[in-house]
Amino acid sequence: MTDTHVAAPAPTAAAPPPEEPRNTALARAALLLLRGRTLVVLVVLIIIFSSISSEYLTQSNLILMTKHVAINAILAIGVTFVILTGGIDLSVGSIAGLASMVAGGLLFKGLNFPGGTVFFSVAVVILIGIVVGALVGAVNGLLITRFKVAPFIATLGMLYVARGAAQLHSNGGTYPDLAGTEARGNTGFGFIGVDSLLGIPVAVWIMVVVAAAAIVVTTKTPFGKHIFAVGGNERAAVLSGIRVNRVKIAVYVISGACAALAGLLLTSELGAAYPDTATTYELNAIAAAVLGGTALAGGRGTIIGTVMGAFVIGFLSDGLVLVGVSTFWQSVVKGAVIIFAVITEQAQQRLQSSLNRRTA
Amino acid sequence: MKFVPSRRALLAVGAASVLALSACGGGDDEASSSGGGESAPAASKLVVIITPSPDNVFFKAEQDAAAAQAKGLGYETLVLSHDDDPTKQSQQFDTAISRKAAAIILDNAGADASVTAIQRAKDANIPTFLIDREINKTGVAVAQIVSNNAQGAGLGGQEFAKLMGNKGEYAELTGKPTDTNAGVRSKGYHGILDQYPDLKMVAQQSANWDQAEALQKTQTILQAHPNIKGIIAGNDTMALGAYAAVQAAKKDIIVVGFDGSPDVVSSIQKKAIKATVLQPASKIAQMAVDQADAYIKAGGKTDQAEKQSIDCVLVNADNAATVKDFAVAGS
Repeated sequence: MTDTHVAAPAPTAAAPPPEEPRNTALARAALLLLRGRTLVVLVVLIIIFSSISSEYLTQSNLILMTKHVAINAILAIGVTFVILTGGIDLSVGSIAGLASMVAGGLLFKGLNFPGGTVFFSVAVVILIGIVVGALVGAVNGLLITRFKVAPFIATLGMLYVARGAAQLHSNGGTYPDLAGTEARGNTGFGFIGVDSLLGIPVAVWIMVVVAAAAIVVTTKTPFGKHIFAVGGNERAAVLSGIRVNRVKIAVYVISGACAALAGLLLTSELGAAYPDTATTYELNAIAAAVLGGTALAGGRGTIIGTVMGAFVIGFLSDGLVLVGVSTFWQSVVKGAVIIFAVITEQAQQRLQSSLNRRTA
Repeated sequence: MKFVPSRRALLAVGAASVLALSACGGGDDEASSSGGGESAPAASKLVVIITPSPDNVFFKAEQDAAAAQAKGLGYETLVLSHDDDPTKQSQQFDTAISRKAAAIILDNAGADASVTAIQRAKDANIPTFLIDREINKTGVAVAQIVSNNAQGAGLGGQEFAKLMGNKGEYAELTGKPTDTNAGVRSKGYHGILDQYPDLKMVAQQSANWDQAEALQKTQTILQAHPNIKGIIAGNDTMALGAYAAVQAAKKDIIVVGFDGSPDVVSSIQKKAIKATVLQPASKIAQMAVDQADAYIKAGGKTDQAEKQSIDCVLVNADNAATVKDFAVAGS
């Protein structure tokens, strides 16, 4: 609509002059609403669900839902780094599963050497899990930069490779008990997924720390500027001396590490590691990023938007379960919300550019 | 582009470390064939065993029992997994046909979608023996040996009602909606539970057979219905997920599963999960191999009915100690 208006040759003489500024003011208001749409949707969801169930807006349920959000939010923050450069990471769910199995194996049966078995402390196990995720991310990055494989294909391949590696790790089995023993010095894995600090689950604190770090990196550091530059216009980024390949590898490493962390949180909460952990979670993570206004073409988006997107998805899914909606409808509603988000995103872009042209 | 060897080396190291980390897990080669030791031509001594993913210990037990029984009878084995994908299963049937298998033992990937593949094997004179899951057509496979899910769910429902004292609020976690057994089990549970007017189902959700999904959905259900006394799950992985949620909420809630998996059996021994229904997976797999052997030796004849239903066994604190590899001692 606005496009055709701008494209029109010139305002006809019949058009009254005061009409133009009023339109612009309306457009500005609409733009503001569209920019804050994730927040608007979240508030609407909370109003709807709390009017249906009195259990929705209780302190304990809000804490629980935020804990469920934490896992997807951490995955989505990692994916956002990749999407900002114009790439995509489809392998995060599988990386989460692989990290889960590596950590689970180390806790459950230790690391077998020909000379015996070594058990690591929980902190070391968590570190190894995250390093595994980062390494897989590095492989993704190298495939994309050195071997010029399209990100979609490289990470799609890694989705299968990492999932297969997770299954190979236990020959398909589950590591059932990750509590550890005092004798092995590896108790306490439940801390990150089960325990709380100051009444807030540790997983939520971890999400807050990861989000804060990601916000600082993307908005306050040269590396952050480079990420947006690569995603906005790769050719220009190269010409302005940014080491594009390094930036790209780094974002896949970040994405892999975040995915591994999310897998470890899930595994800690479950107290068991199984190879199918976090299957298809990559889709929820990408959906959260898109919902939060990250453009799939790259160059535009915010970490805070992604976190809000994860909140919308999590509060929606849990709300539907809480009020007892069937699984089938849960899928339909979730899909519809994502499509709606993309449509409003494009409406925002059109409105923005038309406003820019008007004021120019 | 400049050639930078160090990056390639890094890539190689990265790839190698992924492989190494995964390799430190299992040593068994899944699709391994082992020699039969007899002088008969290899082509007629191959038993192909096709099941869903051994991710689930239930199918692993099935594979292992069938392969061990077949090797014991002097056959070579080829163990494959169709991952519940009928297309993949169809390709695996082509492999079995081109290798002129003596028989196929199959836990199929779909009651309707599997029929043509089995028919193709039959046309190539290869008999198929179905285990665990039925197909919607008779006269194609030689045998369909399945555990009686309806009877098993009845057992589970009865035990659950007894544990609940025939009253109170409960929630049900159902399996993947497209899986026939999810529906059969839920119906079996309700055949019993709905007879008690004081037993009230306050929530019913599908957790798609998945442990993590069961955990999160149970947590949310407990938020909505804090007075829940029991949770009945359509399989053991969901029961384990539900129990993790119960534990995290520090509540005392009765959890009952279905399958008889080792993790749940040991949980029952620790007085955590209360009961499960054991499907005699190993026994069914062995029966199928025995019947395949008899069929081959009789020159393509069987004296067994095609549809055979094997009863499930209830596992609770009384007999959990006697359960091993999906079999209760003395059953």
